[in-house]
Amino acid sequence: MNGSGKVALNAGIEKAWEVLLNPQALKNCIMGCTKLETVGENKYEAVLSIGIAAVKGKYESTIEIADIQKPNHYKLIVKGEGGPGSVEATGVVDLISIDENTTELQYTYDAEVGGKVAMVGQRMLNGVAKLIIQDFFKKFNKELAKSEQSV
Amino acid sequence: MSKVIGKSVTRVEDKRLLTGQGKYIDDLGTPPNTAHVAILRSPYPHAKIVSIDYSEALKIPGVKGVVTGKEVQPLVNPFSVGVSAPVQYYPIAMDKVRYVGEPVAVVVAKNRYIAEDALEKIKVKYETLEPVVDIERALEEGAPVLHENVGSNIANHRTFHYGDVDKAFQQADRIIKHRFHFPKYSATPVETYGVIAQYEESTDSYTVHANFHGPFVLHSIMASALKVPSNRLRIIIPKDIGGSYGIKAGIFPYIVLCSVVSRLAGCPVKWIEDRQEHLAASSSCTDRVTYIEAAVKNDGKVLGLKMKMIDNVGAYIRAPEPACLYRNHANTTGAYDIPNLMIDAYAVMTNKVPTGLIRGYGGQETYFPLERIMHMIADELEMDPADVIRRNLIKKEQFPYKTASGGVYDSGDYEKAFDLLLKIGKYEEFRKKQAEARKKGKLLGVGLAVIVEPSGSNMGYITIALTPEERKAGLPKSGCTEAATISIDPMGNVNVRISTTPTGQGHETVASQIVSEILGIPHDKINVVAELDTATSAWSIASGSYSSRFASLGSSAVYYAAQKVKRKIIKIAAHFLQIDEDDLTMKNGQIISKTDPSKSISIKRVAGSAHWNPLSLPKGMEPGIYETAYYTAQAEPPDDNDLINSSITYGFVADLVTVEIDPETGEIHILDYYTVHDAGKLLNPLIANGQILGGLVHGLGGAMYEELVYDDKGQFLTGSFMDYLCPTATEIPRVTIQHIETPSPITPLGAKGLGEGNSMSAPVVIANAVNDALKPYGVTIDSLPVTPNKIWNLIHRSIKQEELA
Repeated sequence: MNGSGKVALNAGIEKAWEVLLNPQALKNCIMGCTKLETVGENKYEAVLSIGIAAVKGKYESTIEIADIQKPNHYKLIVKGEGGPGSVEATGVVDLISIDENTTELQYTYDAEVGGKVAMVGQRMLNGVAKLIIQDFFKKFNKELAKSEQSV
Repeated sequence: MSKVIGKSVTRVEDKRLLTGQGKYIDDLGTPPNTAHVAILRSPYPHAKIVSIDYSEALKIPGVKGVVTGKEVQPLVNPFSVGVSAPVQYYPIAMDKVRYVGEPVAVVVAKNRYIAEDALEKIKVKYETLEPVVDIERALEEGAPVLHENVGSNIANHRTFHYGDVDKAFQQADRIIKHRFHFPKYSATPVETYGVIAQYEESTDSYTVHANFHGPFVLHSIMASALKVPSNRLRIIIPKDIGGSYGIKAGIFPYIVLCSVVSRLAGCPVKWIEDRQEHLAASSSCTDRVTYIEAAVKNDGKVLGLKMKMIDNVGAYIRAPEPACLYRNHANTTGAYDIPNLMIDAYAVMTNKVPTGLIRGYGGQETYFPLERIMHMIADELEMDPADVIRRNLIKKEQFPYKTASGGVYDSGDYEKAFDLLLKIGKYEEFRKKQAEARKKGKLLGVGLAVIVEPSGSNMGYITIALTPEERKAGLPKSGCTEAATISIDPMGNVNVRISTTPTGQGHETVASQIVSEILGIPHDKINVVAELDTATSAWSIASGSYSSRFASLGSSAVYYAAQKVKRKIIKIAAHFLQIDEDDLTMKNGQIISKTDPSKSISIKRVAGSAHWNPLSLPKGMEPGIYETAYYTAQAEPPDDNDLINSSITYGFVADLVTVEIDPETGEIHILDYYTVHDAGKLLNPLIANGQILGGLVHGLGGAMYEELVYDDKGQFLTGSFMDYLCPTATEIPRVTIQHIETPSPITPLGAKGLGEGNSMSAPVVIANAVNDALKPYGVTIDSLPVTPNKIWNLIHRSIKQEELA
């Protein structure tokens, strides 16, 4: 499964970058993320509870950020395993400054799922991926607003 | 008693099944202290197991233990396999997983809920490996190898030359060839696998209840795997099995797994498979690529065939595979008189669920290319397919007909059945209708298929996987033995015990009909017991429910056991009445003199004497009435030239299907399905038609809906009935069944097996009809299922090409 898209963020590029790489902000934005801990440089461990079709369950995942070119580009490598099966995904994020308060984020992703979630959920996967991504950016813009206020 | 055999007697099984009194595996009680198991399965198609940590699972209250390959290994041997490739197949993954769904760990708990929850607490570290799922990719240099010690993915390869194939191809006016791909699908019985296993330490023995239906040759394989003498593995089959269609033969690794788990856990264990497990990890047919070449004369006569068949047996070749490849070996040339045949047969292993028995077993894979190429020959020669078929059909006077590969077709009148088909299917009329419809842009099509339906397998056929030299190293294997026991109790009532482990086919009914007719007792007074118990039943390696063997073999064992009982009763009656045995007949519960009907004695009196007053019996006769008959037909092992008569009886099926296709959506509408059968003498036409319809719907699934789909990374994508489509009542077209009867000279009742024929013929006859409908687009159907998506794409690709041209 793969996909791509772009979204406008209501912040300047530096600010957007900062929040994007803030573990607490990410935890708030990722649907079903109940835990996100830093375990090393650019490495996190997360617990995600997601239901896809009839397959609900917890995934214990590692998230690695690589290929960092601050503040324009990075790559996200996610490996998750749990009762419902396994997920391996990579995402590439590019930030383009539009103006002082607007940044365009472009993303592409490539994901492979395995086990039960592939067996009974694959019809739904593209839809679920879109839902999770849309939800992420909706919440992310809120996080940006929150961080603006806190400044 | 008047004729009962051959009558449409209603099924004695139905009352209990329809009123909820069937006894299926999950209806059996469990011994006290029985634990329930849940199985952790691999999410990866190909990976090394680095570590398994189940310490957290053990902490859950109610969990009694966790078992992995490490604990199982010392207690088992790998299953023996029927090929020379040293494949190590265990009931649970040892150091590697090779398909999605392979068992990795087993949780034993107080109940299934706790066991399922505990699965999530087990941490398995995998190191993933590149998978291979495509049949021909698996054969390529540099493809990932599943079994390192085998060295390649080829589990079996044999080449056969029968007749003079080179000469046939030299004499041909043209050679017509094509590549076909038959999909992997299942049979989805309503009841899934179930096992209750108990290890008893004091005797070092295992007792297992399971809905396993044979072949009981697998009993030896299971006992060897469990490292116990075979009389220390007692398997008991419940009275009722909720369908199988071959798939439940694949339960045997789980019988061994649950047995070992019971031993390790120190308590009886019960496992009922769920639907997702069943679709992902039970069993299926092989998917097969066939390259077929036909040497053809311009009048449509086929002189010879070359077939390269590559069967995908999944991650492990397991017994009785590569049987799918050879099940139809004797009837590879189908209903045609084709004396020259070359077969290049491969069984390859890929990262998919292992395969096994399934309704039709290899027939659908064999007849798909054969019956498609006959239609392609007609197209190329601009002949009517009916004429090409007729030109090649075996003639009535050729029976018993010896096939190129060693089959002996016992009886038949193929032309008569085929002519009847064309008549009831109004073939000529439909052709005219089709021509009219085409003018209006409507897509009508008609397909034909004629197939030989083998029944009652010769146990020797599987050894054709070995070379004649390899076979010589072992004992010869042959035969098709089945047994039945009939007893009469002191009150004169009859019990019949059969070892054909019915899975819904009505064996109890037909057995009661046979005994009724021979002993002159109403069939509904006869009690038939279908539970098989390897410790107390009369059974043999071939026993069980598969290869449509009841009508040819099971019924014959019942027949001969009844004849034994009859002989004894007549002997006693003759002694009591002081009448010659030849003068006596059995009727309405009496033994009566034919010449003086006033002289008679009741069965109750005769049987009663055998129990109550044995000294009154003829001198030297054993007391009691309890007779077992073992029956086998003439079934030789393969000879040095690899000739093998792989079945006992050979029926015939001719199908005609008409379809209309919507070019806008690619949807196929089956207008009519006509099928003419010759299964020798019918034992019960009502049951026969029910079985035929069931087999036909299974074939319809393979043709149009069902496929176990894996993506190119080896992930399994059809793990529920939302994704794996089975035909339901609304998809079943109008079906017209007709019979002709040419009795088998081999079986005592003249009967042949049936019920699998349309599983073999439906996929190809529907493909032929669809191809015919799409003739204006010049497309070739060479893979299945023919989904609307596939048809739409074929139509539109063809339209695009035309526009470009």
